[in-house]
Amino acid sequence: MRTPLAWFNLTYERRRLLTAIAGVSFAVLLMFMFKGFENALYDSQVQLLKVLNGDIIVVNRLKYTMFIPEQFARRRLYQAQAFEGVEAAYPLYTRDGAYWKNPDTKAVRPLRVLAFNPNDPVLNIPEVLAKQEGLKLPWTVIVDEKSRAEVGPRAAGIVTELAEQQIEVIGTYSMGTDFASANGNVIMSDQNFLRYFSDLGPEETERDLNTVDIGLVKIAPGADVNALVAAMRQRLPNDISIVTKAEFVDMELEYWRKNTSIGFVFTLLTTMSFAVGIILVYQILYTDVSEHWVEYATLKAIGYSNRYLLGVVMQQSLILTMLGFVPGYLIALVLYKAATNATGLLMNMTPGRALEILVATVSMCLISGAIAVRKVQAADPAEVFGS
Amino acid sequence: MRTSLAWLNLTHEKTRLLVAIAGVAFAVILVFMNLGFLGSLSDTAAITYSTINAEVYLISPQALEITTTKPFPIERLYQAGGIDGVKRVMPLYVSYLQWRNVETRQSRALFVYGINPSDPVFLLPDLQKPEVQAALGQVDTVLMDRLSRPEFGPQATGTTTEADGRKATVGGQYTLGGGFAADGTLIMSDQNFRRYFDPFPLNQINLGLIKLNDGVDPLQVVEALRQTLPQDVLVMTQEQITARDRDYWIGATSTGFIFGMGVAVSCVVGVVIVYQILYTDISEHLKQYATLKAMGYRSGFLFNTVLQEAVILAVLGYIPGFIISLGLYELTLRATSGGLPVVMNIGRALFVLTLTVLMCSLSGLASVQKVINTDPADVF
Repeated sequence: MRTPLAWFNLTYERRRLLTAIAGVSFAVLLMFMFKGFENALYDSQVQLLKVLNGDIIVVNRLKYTMFIPEQFARRRLYQAQAFEGVEAAYPLYTRDGAYWKNPDTKAVRPLRVLAFNPNDPVLNIPEVLAKQEGLKLPWTVIVDEKSRAEVGPRAAGIVTELAEQQIEVIGTYSMGTDFASANGNVIMSDQNFLRYFSDLGPEETERDLNTVDIGLVKIAPGADVNALVAAMRQRLPNDISIVTKAEFVDMELEYWRKNTSIGFVFTLLTTMSFAVGIILVYQILYTDVSEHWVEYATLKAIGYSNRYLLGVVMQQSLILTMLGFVPGYLIALVLYKAATNATGLLMNMTPGRALEILVATVSMCLISGAIAVRKVQAADPAEVFGS
Repeated sequence: MRTSLAWLNLTHEKTRLLVAIAGVAFAVILVFMNLGFLGSLSDTAAITYSTINAEVYLISPQALEITTTKPFPIERLYQAGGIDGVKRVMPLYVSYLQWRNVETRQSRALFVYGINPSDPVFLLPDLQKPEVQAALGQVDTVLMDRLSRPEFGPQATGTTTEADGRKATVGGQYTLGGGFAADGTLIMSDQNFRRYFDPFPLNQINLGLIKLNDGVDPLQVVEALRQTLPQDVLVMTQEQITARDRDYWIGATSTGFIFGMGVAVSCVVGVVIVYQILYTDISEHLKQYATLKAMGYRSGFLFNTVLQEAVILAVLGYIPGFIISLGLYELTLRATSGGLPVVMNIGRALFVLTLTVLMCSLSGLASVQKVINTDPADVF
């Protein structure tokens, strides 16, 4: 077996190796943190959209983000039901900025109300589906456990006020907040929605069930979504936009990425953290190469080719990447957890994201390795020993 | 003159020095960006209130900050008008309005200030012009913020579009900026506010603005008002209400946490980078350091040398970091069309410089251990 030179080079000095691994770990951690914040921002904006139980989404033509409080006529959903391949169409009613009284502090906080017919499986959340029977009672609601702390206690049985009318919490589910929902989401039946928001007095806009915020179209198994969307777009009036669920989610993400200051801020920070990561890893590899300069020169003098040396440095950088990535990843997991607990931000680590950062780390290690090795390749054995 | 060993050590190998400086510079930039974004959060509140021409403010206790308020009866403002030292009371109505971009025909929420046109509510110079004042009084005519995001479309005077299903004409411009809470702002007369936000009544106000006579102490008036008014309104001075909004943005939203964590992680990375550099330098020059020790130089001298290197790196890295940050601040201002007030101030520049020197010194201290423990006999 050939001598694993790269491995011996690295492990020759333990402390040096530990420092190098720590350095790479920090670069990895830095990328994970900023990417995590960016992802948290985007993930939380679309978490509600992702649990909508529909293959096709119908919204008012003007509603290109959840921030636009425009509704469309409910009869469009009845029309949609007539298409072949459509199994059901559910209306979802939402109300932003409904005032919820914290039962402990008596302070009111705005949150978003989601309302639908409790006989329909409108949201793909098992906890909600299990409690829909209870929602049929008047003045009842299910509250998100992950609502902001300002909402107050949220256990079943609590009686408080919503929009200045009494309300009883009959259960909880778990989702999380986003910018449009402010402090959280509560779920009630469409009949209760009428009780709270159809007669608000002269000062506020009232709601009824004739206009819908989001329409969910469920298609029969085997039906072609894209063909249905095309057919519906062609035959229904153009006061609504008809999109697949994936397109609806993308539309919201697009709004955040392109059209908001917050999106810009996080893109900038993530890019910066990648740049810092590259510099850090380069620094480490360069140090390593220059420490073993004499040895490399000796190898060259014995007749090893530049190619072989490049291979050694590349191996070293790959080993460093792997060794550094693991602790960086583990610390990031802990920090993600800490950030989630501290702020309720949705810091999700998915295999895809971990892989994304791993690929970024490997490629920056290889790039830095390639730059660092140039010094070795330029080395003239005679010069090295001359001094 | 003594040989500046620290300087010569660092400059011995140019490429490495450059990379080292780049590393420190990037850490500095990351810290600056995070602080800049954090600062723009608190500045948003300060900028809004500093353009309002009032010393004392009435607001509902249920209000979170200026864009999330709860209306209260205008009677409170009239009651405040009877207090000694009060020169003028002015109502302020606020809300979000869906504004249609004439070109793309997409609507987007603008933040609206509704004022009585005869009240000098804003100190903005544009609002003092007679033609702008005249436009403010016209039906369905609004003034638009130059710092609104470009997605709102053309903002030139005379542009006619639609807002919440009602015709709207731009009658003039001003410069204010909406910050994190709003992508753009509008100013309109209270009568127009009534039209756009029908059925919102004008006897319910979002903010009460109280202008005092010259020389009157706002704190005294606040005290008097707190005794007179029922508890359904909060009475605050300009500093107090600015601080309240700032605390909300930094504390209640996650933004304070995110950017604070950003600063912390950037600093740690800075420490690691500088440690790498100094440690390498020391292990490369171990023989020379050992020789110096054998010649009789004390550990203190070597300690100083490493620390000097650390500080030199800090300063050399800080300078490009600072300059690039200025560029990135400018980029952010442009990318957000001036809506996000990310600006450099001396306090922050000094703070980051101190932080950089501290973090470099810390790395210096961590890496110097090896030199101190060096035994010349061992090395040779």
